[in-house]
Order: sequence, then C-alpha cells, then structure tokens
Amino acid sequence: MQNFALVIEDDPDLSGIFEKALQAAGFEVETLLDGALAQKRLQEVTPRVIVLDMHLPNVDGSTLLTQIHGNPVFKDTKIIMTTADNVQAEIYRSKVTIAMIKPITFSQLRDISARLKLN
Amino acid sequence: MNRLIRLWERINAFAGKDPDVARRGRLLNVILAGIAGLGFAVLLLAAVTGTLDVKLSSIIGILVVTSLALVHINQTSVRAASLLLLVLLLIILIFSDTPAQLVSGRSSYVFFIPIAVSSLLLAPSASFFFALASTAIVAYLSYSGNVPSSPTVIAGYFFLALIAWLSSRSLEQALEDLRGINANLDKLVSERTQALSESLDREHLIAGRNQAILNSIADGVIVFDAHSRATLVNPAMVNLFGIPLEKLIGNQLQDFLHTEQLSSADREAFIKMRQNPDLVISGVRFEWGRKTVSTSIAPVLDTEQNNIGRVAVFRDISREAEVEKLKDSFVAIISHELRTPLNAVLGHAEMLREAVYGAMNEQQTSIAGRIMANSGRLLNMVNDLLDEAQMKAGKLSIRPEPFKPATLLENVRGTLDKTIADKGLTLTTEISPDLPDEIIGDAHRLQQILVNLVNNAVKFTEKGGIHVRLFRPQANRWAMEVRDTGMGIPEEETANIFEAFRQVDAVTTRQRGGFGLGLSIVKQLVELMHGEIKVQSKMGSGSTFTIHLPLETNK
Repeated sequence: MQNFALVIEDDPDLSGIFEKALQAAGFEVETLLDGALAQKRLQEVTPRVIVLDMHLPNVDGSTLLTQIHGNPVFKDTKIIMTTADNVQAEIYRSKVTIAMIKPITFSQLRDISARLKLN
Repeated sequence: MNRLIRLWERINAFAGKDPDVARRGRLLNVILAGIAGLGFAVLLLAAVTGTLDVKLSSIIGILVVTSLALVHINQTSVRAASLLLLVLLLIILIFSDTPAQLVSGRSSYVFFIPIAVSSLLLAPSASFFFALASTAIVAYLSYSGNVPSSPTVIAGYFFLALIAWLSSRSLEQALEDLRGINANLDKLVSERTQALSESLDREHLIAGRNQAILNSIADGVIVFDAHSRATLVNPAMVNLFGIPLEKLIGNQLQDFLHTEQLSSADREAFIKMRQNPDLVISGVRFEWGRKTVSTSIAPVLDTEQNNIGRVAVFRDISREAEVEKLKDSFVAIISHELRTPLNAVLGHAEMLREAVYGAMNEQQTSIAGRIMANSGRLLNMVNDLLDEAQMKAGKLSIRPEPFKPATLLENVRGTLDKTIADKGLTLTTEISPDLPDEIIGDAHRLQQILVNLVNNAVKFTEKGGIHVRLFRPQANRWAMEVRDTGMGIPEEETANIFEAFRQVDAVTTRQRGGFGLGLSIVKQLVELMHGEIKVQSKMGSGSTFTIHLPLETNK
C-alpha cells in the first residue's frame, strides 16, 4: 500500500485532475465521487495519501475526517484536505497534513504529493 | 322688582359723563330716592293708622313728586338738579320753624344740612355759598322778626363750610388719584396683555413651523424631557414603529420597548443608552420586527448648557440592509461557485501544458499557458471578492503561528517570479540581519499581503523592478516594504487607494484590470494584525508601501 492514494472529490473535472497529478507523482490512484462510497471503501483499504474534499454528497468530509482520526490503521496516512472555503481551511488546518484552498493546480498537487511520498 | 332694579341701574348710569359728575348724580339720586321713599312710608303709615291729614299729605305728595321730577332733571343736568334741591331745601327750612328758633334757637343748626350737602353735591366750595346764603336768611329773619342774631351760629356756618370744603376737596382729590392709579393700572394691564399676546403669537408661529418640519420629514423623531418621557412625536415615528401616538406621548422609552418586535439584546442596549443622558449616538442599527432601523440620539441643551432631555431620530434602513445582505451573500456564493469550474479550467490547461496527455508543439503549449494565465487572473479576482466579503462580514480571522521570514519571501518569489519575468521586470528581496529567523504571524495572510502589493506594483510598473525588504525598525516591531519604479500615485489619491473598488481613475482600471480590491484587502488584513500601512510616492518615480507589525517570537 506504499504507493496507494485515494482521491475523494465529487467534482468529476477536479477529481480527474487530482488523479492525474497523483499519478504523475508516482501513486496508484483510486477516485471516489461520493462520501458514502468513500466511507465504505475506507474500511477495506489503507492508503498512503488521501485527498479529501470537505464538500461531498451523502457523507461530508468532516465526518470522514473524524472517522479516519478515530481509526489507528490510518496513523501513517497523510491527508490533503481540499476546500474552497478559507474559513473552513483555517478550522481544519491543524487536523490534516496539508490544507489546500481551491484553486489547486495540477503541478501544486503533483509536487506536494511527491514530497509526501518521500517522507 | 327686577324692573325696578333695572330702572335704578339705568338712572344711575350717567353714561359719557365726567366721573365726578356721575358720582354726584348718583348721590343725588340716593338722596331723592330716600326723600321719596320716606314720603311714601309716612303716607302709608298715616293711612294705616287713620291719621291721614289733608294738608300734611299734600305737602308730602308735592315733596315726592318734586323728588321724582328732580330725578328726571338729574338725568340731563346733575348741577341744575342739585342746585334746585338745595334751594328748595333752604326754602323749606325757612318755613320749618319760628324765626326766633331759626335765628338763634335749636333750629338755627338745620342750615348745616344744605351747607354740608352742597359741598358733596355741587362742588367743595359751594359750602361757602350756602353758608353765606344761610347767613343772609338768618340776618333777614333777625331783622324782620327783630330777633337778635347769634354770632356763634354764623361762625358755626362758616366753620362747617370750611370743614365741608376741606373734606370734600380731599375726598375728590383722593378719588382723582384713585382714578389716575386705575387708569395707569389699566394701561399697564393692556400693555402687558398686548405683549403677552404677541409673544404667544410668535410662539405659536415657531411651534407651528417646527411641527410642520417634523411632520414633513420621513425619519421618526421623538423628543424626551429630563425625566425621559416623550413630549413630542412626529407622524413618521408613529408609522415606523406602529405604536399609536397616545401610547408614545408621556411615556418612557422602556415602556414601549417591552414588545416582541425588539430582541432582548437590542432592548438592553437601548436601556443602557438611556442611562447616560449626555451620550451622543449616531447610526446605531437595530431590528424592529422585520424592519432594520438606524437611530441617532443627542442631548437637548438649554441656553446654560444644562441637559433638559434628549431627541432621538429613527430611520428605516430596511431596504439598504436587505440590499447589503443580498450583496454579501451574492458575492460569497458567486465567488465560491466560480472557483470550482475555474479550478478545472486551470487544471486541464496545466495538464495539457505539462504534457500529461502527450507532447504538444510550441504554439499549443503557449496557448495552454495563456489559458492558464487568464483563468489565473480570473481566479485572483474571485478570491479578492471572497476575501473582501468575508472581511466585511467579520468572518476572516488571523491565525498566528511560527514561520520563517525567508520562507515567506521564497513563496512570494515562487508565486510571482514568472509574472514578473513575463513583463520584463526584476524582483529583488532582502532580509535585514537583525530580523529573527523565526517570528510569529499568519504566514498565509502575510504572503497574501506581499503578493497583493507586488502584484499591484507589477501592474503599475513598465520598466525597472520591484524590491521587497523585510526589516526591524524598532526592537518590538518588524516591517515589510515593497518598492517599485512605476508610475507613482498622485498625492491627492494616496488617501483613497486603500478603498475597495478604487483605482486612480477609470482609464487605469480598464488598462490594468482587476477590481481594485487588492490594496483594500491588504489594509484590512494589516489592521486585523494590529499593524499599519503607509505609502510614499512621487509621480513618475515609483511608490513605496511599508507595513509595520508588532514583532512576536517564541524566544
């Protein structure tokens, strides 16, 4: 699972870009467009990196984040939170590895995730 | 009886006559009425007792008729009637007793009557005339009846005449004075009444004018006296709050604040305002039911600067508040919803340029770059709008944490190097050696400030470069300085450049693009960090923006 990354982002364009960026950084990527699906999938896999959008259908990002924090399996998992809301970014900044405010460019995410892969 | 009283009042009227003459006329009327009344009474008594004597009754009858005739004459000439009565009295007196008695006996004193009465009825000095007449009669009777006259009696006549003259004269003088005083008093009263009525008229005019002004203004106005009771309320006030006039007038503010229309916090704020009568409040907002109202309160002072109450003005700003709210949520929604698709455009363009989907030729790469640059510009504007909206709403907060100034500059370079190079400018940075390696601050917002300032500098600089310097002007302060070699800012505009949506003129807005929000956001962020921003500029030789901030470190 050393190179496995999960992208949880409901916007198909953005999730596509994020997927490509993580692939460019050398990850094997799985993309989920729905919070509830992500919740289910997180019981089966332990990714190295999770790109987590806060605004998701069915189950929102903050619920997923609480679950991830509550499960010791994910203690080595790096979380890249993505949001369009500055205030929300401030609130969750200390609870995630990196809080990124949209717009997030392809190269930004590619470079950041590449760095996380090395750590 | 009533007719008799009316008749009496009519004969005593003496309208249009001298007050002295009228007084004498009334006195004469009383005497004549007395004589006539007495005559009637005697006749009545005699008739009842059966002692009615023909001679006596005819004399009394003549007396009564004469009296009534004199009353009639009195109406036209008081003097003639008085003279006639007195002469008649003298004649009656002559025949009232024997000549001996009249000359020196008891009856000699009956002449005192006309002497005394004449001074009252005719004139004060008339007493002397009647004293003389009485003396003449007594002398004639003494001579014709051969009775020796008494010098004491004669002296008595003149002595009485003197007393009557003196007393009548002083009485008349006193009455005259009294009339003078009365006349003065009347004049004074009438003058005062006139002045009072004029000042009342003036007051009514002013009050009417003030009321007209109050009635015609659209804002609710209420005036409280020193006991905080409402004394004056205009119709707009009644309409604004929907409280009837009679419930407002005479009541205290808290009496009509006890309503569900007002939130408890607003009500408490109002009651607090009440406690300081000298407080001047301007444009305080509160919600009244579904209305938003702005209020201004000021003390009412008298000429000696004493506080004698307060006046409160209320303006219905519901529409403005609604528009403001709509604008804020519009900006927030638009900014938020624009970001996601813009992010996608930017991402896809970048992937093309980065050859994620395979290599492209030079022109294709350049086009992808231009798509990126333009969507990047658009995104920056949206971000600025969102920041501005959040700061307006007080939702943006500063999160201080340790950071390295060197990293801050590195990030700024990383963000802007390309933009600056594209325009053919240079970016140089400098960190003063006395600045600590690590300081506490919101690195994200500090970077935003520097990026905004440098972007602004780039926008207005055509050649030369931009220099960013971090230094420590004082032991407990640190500073960021952005200097450019651009066109500069006219001096009269330096005060306005930090206002939102402001650029020096419309032409520059069209040439340079953007909303003009960058500097406004910078200023607000600096203020949130308890710092200050200054600008120095000279037309044609560039501008320098300097931000001073409190210096905090972990050590």
